Amino acid sequence: MISPEVRRWIVSFGVAAILWEAVAWYLDNKLFLVRLGAIGERFVELIQSGELISDIQVSFIEFAGGFGLAIIIGIGFGVLMAASRRVRDLFDPWVSMLYATPTIALGPLFMLAFGIGYTSKIALVFLTAVFPILINTLAGLKTTDRNLLEVVRSFGATPRQIYFKVRIPGALPFIIAGLRVSVARALVGVVVAELFGARAGLGFLIFRSAQSFDTAGLFVAVFILAICGVVCVELLKWIEIRLAPWRFNNIEED
Amino acid sequence: MNAPKLSTRDLCKSFQKDGVSIEVLRGLNINVAKGEFVSIVGASGCGKTTFLRLVNGLIRSSSGSAMIDGREVTAPGSDIAFVFQQDGLLPWRNVIDNTIIGPEIQGRNLGEARDLASSFLNLVGLRGFEKHYPHELSGGMRQRVNMARALTAGAEVLLMDEPFAALDAQTREIMQTELTRIWSETGKTVLFVTHQIDEAVFLSDRVLVFTVRPGRLKEEVFVKLPRPRELALKRSPEFGLYVDRIWRLIEEEVRESIRRETEEALLAARR
Repeated sequence: MISPEVRRWIVSFGVAAILWEAVAWYLDNKLFLVRLGAIGERFVELIQSGELISDIQVSFIEFAGGFGLAIIIGIGFGVLMAASRRVRDLFDPWVSMLYATPTIALGPLFMLAFGIGYTSKIALVFLTAVFPILINTLAGLKTTDRNLLEVVRSFGATPRQIYFKVRIPGALPFIIAGLRVSVARALVGVVVAELFGARAGLGFLIFRSAQSFDTAGLFVAVFILAICGVVCVELLKWIEIRLAPWRFNNIEED
Repeated sequence: MNAPKLSTRDLCKSFQKDGVSIEVLRGLNINVAKGEFVSIVGASGCGKTTFLRLVNGLIRSSSGSAMIDGREVTAPGSDIAFVFQQDGLLPWRNVIDNTIIGPEIQGRNLGEARDLASSFLNLVGLRGFEKHYPHELSGGMRQRVNMARALTAGAEVLLMDEPFAALDAQTREIMQTELTRIWSETGKTVLFVTHQIDEAVFLSDRVLVFTVRPGRLKEEVFVKLPRPRELALKRSPEFGLYVDRIWRLIEEEVRESIRRETEEALLAARR
């Protein structure tokens, strides 16, 4: 038996596919919208030629490197800023400023500074992804429920115990929510970084395909990126619900 | 008379607020015997909660001291347990893990703590809920866990700060009878803060009436009603007399407190 949710997804995508096919057939413009079948064929071709596999590999390394670094630095710095007033005062203006800046704009600069290889891509992905993680970590650690703190203090908890038994577990759901925001930003970072110049990657596949009027190839990359994004976000949502079920208790889905 | 379990000597407390010193408590001398149930009533802002926090060692007094078994309290420890108005259960811990947090913090044997916690959860009527999470429980049940947690800490003195204030009236009455039962079964010394005069009379051996800020002891009333007490007692004339007497003691304090609150609000509005 299929769950109602899965059925809704199938219906929704089924209708969209039919509409897509109808519009593609009606327009008959292979530059703007190609038939889904053609995208499928292009997908198989790209797999067979080995191009797609290496594009995915390259993009994955850039994504994993940048996002991984963002997690480590974001959480680490968040903890540091929560713990020390001085560190917070020193870095707060920078964090606020850089968070509001479209860091993507620094892409060309990174190309010039770090070259066309992995380093520049990882740096850009890191920069687009790190701030939501950092800010949420900081917020999670700073907004601990006062009642909970009182309770553990009344039992004679040391500052260290307060940190590990209350503050950190209380901040975890915030941190996961930050990761969820960041994962989408990191994917955008990968694509944009590759558009500025690359030798391989899904963003570069989009660029390549557009240059050679290969609309089907372009959609292959777009679909793969979309699926990756959805999978990552859903996975983090799943973890968030498992980690902090009480936060979803009073929410009514409309 | 035996040496008191809990006592305070000229306990005073002032806070600094916006550069102004506010005197909250003045010269409190209170003795509570071992196994005694004492309630504190008074108008809002009379420093009842501050008093409990001082006795627990959560905050330091401005002068004077609080003592347990003749030893001065300097920081929260294992000889006193606090039952807060908000249950303060850690939402990511299930009931049993919440209940053992006292012994866990104090570095005691966790296996023993678990056994102890189970028996106290049983005592408060929550057998079978060990693996439930706080968000799966009702307000009354959470307050029972709160109580079991304080009992599991093994302290002989329980400080309770309006633990039933957030509950609905019926649940509250049931919890009061439960508390008297638990108290008589465990023999704890209890200091109980409340707004409800009938609650104070029903539960206590003695009711302390505080004045408005700075809080001082206005009068103490010994409640000589027989135990064990059932809810029906609340409808007896003797009970009514006690409530009436305490209410008359407190009335002018409440009026004064309301007058001051209005005055302060007006001042704040003018600024």
